[in-house]
Amino acid sequence: MKLTKDVSKEDKKMLNSIFWRSFTVFGSRAGASMAHAPGFIYSIMPAIRRYYKNPEDQAEALSRHTTWYNITQNVGTFVMGLVASMEKKNSEEKDFDPDSIVALKTSLMGPLSGIGDSIFWGVLRVIAAGVGISLAAQGSILGPILFLIIYNVPSILTRYYLTYMGFTLGSTFIENIYESGSMKLLTKAASTLGLLMIGSMTASMVIFKSKLSIPISDGKPILIQTYMDQLFKGLIPLLVTLGCYWLLSKKVNVNWVLLGVLVLAITLGLLGVV
Amino acid sequence: MLKVALLAALTVFICYGGNWLFGQTMIERPLVVGMVTGFIMGDLHTGIIMGASLEAIFMGAVDIGGALSAEPVTATVLATTFSIIMNVNQKAALALAVPIGVFAAFISMFLKNVVMNIFVPIINKQARENNQKGLTFTHFFMWFLNYFIFSLVTFFGVLEGAQPVQALIKEIPDNLMAGLSATGGLLPAVGFAILMRMLWSKELSPYYFLGFVMVAYLNLPSIAVAVIGVIIVILNAYRDRQLLQIENNQKKVSVVNTEDSLANSEDKEEEDFFE
Repeated sequence: MKLTKDVSKEDKKMLNSIFWRSFTVFGSRAGASMAHAPGFIYSIMPAIRRYYKNPEDQAEALSRHTTWYNITQNVGTFVMGLVASMEKKNSEEKDFDPDSIVALKTSLMGPLSGIGDSIFWGVLRVIAAGVGISLAAQGSILGPILFLIIYNVPSILTRYYLTYMGFTLGSTFIENIYESGSMKLLTKAASTLGLLMIGSMTASMVIFKSKLSIPISDGKPILIQTYMDQLFKGLIPLLVTLGCYWLLSKKVNVNWVLLGVLVLAITLGLLGVV
Repeated sequence: MLKVALLAALTVFICYGGNWLFGQTMIERPLVVGMVTGFIMGDLHTGIIMGASLEAIFMGAVDIGGALSAEPVTATVLATTFSIIMNVNQKAALALAVPIGVFAAFISMFLKNVVMNIFVPIINKQARENNQKGLTFTHFFMWFLNYFIFSLVTFFGVLEGAQPVQALIKEIPDNLMAGLSATGGLLPAVGFAILMRMLWSKELSPYYFLGFVMVAYLNLPSIAVAVIGVIIVILNAYRDRQLLQIENNQKKVSVVNTEDSLANSEDKEEEDFFE
């Protein structure tokens, strides 16, 4: 790939080291105040060691990154590469403002996590799980294995190339894709695919069957479920899912929604509806 | 039961701790955890099938920014262990997994967001002193401590919880059991609702219903739905890009126009001045 070709041998060594270290970035979580700062420091340590020879400068750079850090980890490496390139500039240019490193890092957390979460959590994982579940439900070991492969191959490749992109393209790249509207297209594509997948999974995985029946004096009793299926297949699962969504969109805590569904299902069971 | 409890706790440590040590590679998802638990407890087949059902239930249990609605690892390990070792009805074990997952999520969040704060001054001190080895050690020690403590929940859950659960399940009346089974069927709705909140917009909502009908009436497998989805996205992207280009060109034109009119008005003023 072109991205990795223009990078010098020493840079490559450093970026690869950052890439490998980035796998542990969420290993520790230092409370709500620092979040994943320790993992971030560990990940960019090779850059700090390389560009600052003086122990005091190294300490200053390390302290700079003890601030709150949290970005979807497969896209977070972009920021790690970017920070490495800025630390390099800071070590070379005397009038470079080191505060701008932290400022840029912090400003990218929201937007990058937004895209990263919806693509990796909302779409890729849902597709991988959809394939995995349908195989595993029949007891096939291919289910979990395919799930891991479908999710991890693209996400690890993204992690790798974004490390290099952050280092070589720098901060102007991010501004450009915002201004040209490409970011909006990317989000729309991700959401379209995600909603389609979730719709299909609502049909296949949310299950409701009533055993209520109307007895008839001479003949088979009429099952309510048959009527509901004729009306619209999967009506109850669809309504329950949309109901949960509506409650969540009204800012009802998810634990209450979970509890509500639990109580609803158990009550229906006690009443002999299911 | 002590051996089972130890093995279950070890499974949680490997899957949950391993997931976060190795780049969130999704080995914490029920699909994988179910398989691992089944392998360790000696019934791979049941483990895989339990994993598939639990994956659907916990589909929406996403750990975003340290906030999670339900913690799937503990829930999957306990439900699968109960089902394999104690022959608990699978549907009942699935229903049991939900309250366990919610409870475990509280403990996990308390550990990560509150207890681990005690390391903040240590990290600050080590950074100030340029103690790079210390920082590396703290990073990995925090990982170990967090997931070790968390695995204890499962250890005591199996050790202390196994007998009450077994007794409970024996005495459950039929209609309550039916209710518990129905819970397993309806709970995925909550997970999908959480994901929908992330992706839903009025403009795109028809795609949700399209996906629903594709499976409810056309019975398409999920790979087919995914491929059709990618095709729709590509077709839309071409159109959207064209629209975007037109929009951007218009912006440029209008910028040029305003510059022209500004220049014209300045000309006029000059003319007025000379008249």
